[in-house]
Amino acid sequence: MDFLKTLSIAASGLKAQSGRMRVIAENIANADSTASSPGGEPYRRRIASFRASFDRELQAQVVALGRVQNDRTDFVTRHEPGHPAADAKGDVKYPNVNPLIETVDMREAQRSYEANLNVIGATRRMITRTLDLLRA
Amino acid sequence: MPVTDLPLFAMLKTRMYWLEERQKLLAENVANADTPSYRGRDLKQLDFNAALRSASSTSAVTLAATAPGHLSGAAGSEATRFATERGSGFEVTPRGNAVTLEEEMMKLAQNQMDHQAATALYARGLGMIKAALGRK
Repeated sequence: MDFLKTLSIAASGLKAQSGRMRVIAENIANADSTASSPGGEPYRRRIASFRASFDRELQAQVVALGRVQNDRTDFVTRHEPGHPAADAKGDVKYPNVNPLIETVDMREAQRSYEANLNVIGATRRMITRTLDLLRA
Repeated sequence: MPVTDLPLFAMLKTRMYWLEERQKLLAENVANADTPSYRGRDLKQLDFNAALRSASSTSAVTLAATAPGHLSGAAGSEATRFATERGSGFEVTPRGNAVTLEEEMMKLAQNQMDHQAATALYARGLGMIKAALGRK
């Protein structure tokens, strides 16, 4: 039955979006994680990517979380000579995480997640209506 | 002759197959709403004349079966014969994604309403047959 395939496709969307949410949560949680040794590298922001893959069983394009890649932008440096991770000049490298960008990304993931839930709800109502024909 | 061979029911069945298939494509679009360089797809509208022709012709061309073990040779899945078309691409994001969630939600609602109409008509048709049989 095609409706069950529809539900599986929407579920793949849910899974991908929640995976993205996990990466975003990781970034926000580590927004202030500096290195433990002087002059070391702090946490580097990570970016989740999606890719469409053809599922032979469902005969449809499902979505999957692709490789989680590192954000290659520069770290933020602040002058804090007393900090344990400060280098010889007294600069500390902070992660390249911008909480504003992460929040916006989070909203987008939430919106897409809700859209997939909407598809599941609509499909379920259609299945119920088809089954109601048995009672007619 | 089963009830599903009556032209009315055959046409409603085609319609419901079409709606089911479209629901699957819409789910694909929503699931891939954040996938880079993904273009949405949609089903071509059903052709009324073609549907009428196939519904009113009771004898479809089939392979001759000269032994009981012969298979009919009919296409495996009935739901795969509808033509797909590229989505309109209302706007394309910088990453090349052409799915608009709002548009997809509209189509989803439309699809649901059409399906409701088809199942209601189907139930009404069954009711008419029951009335003709004198079992109201």
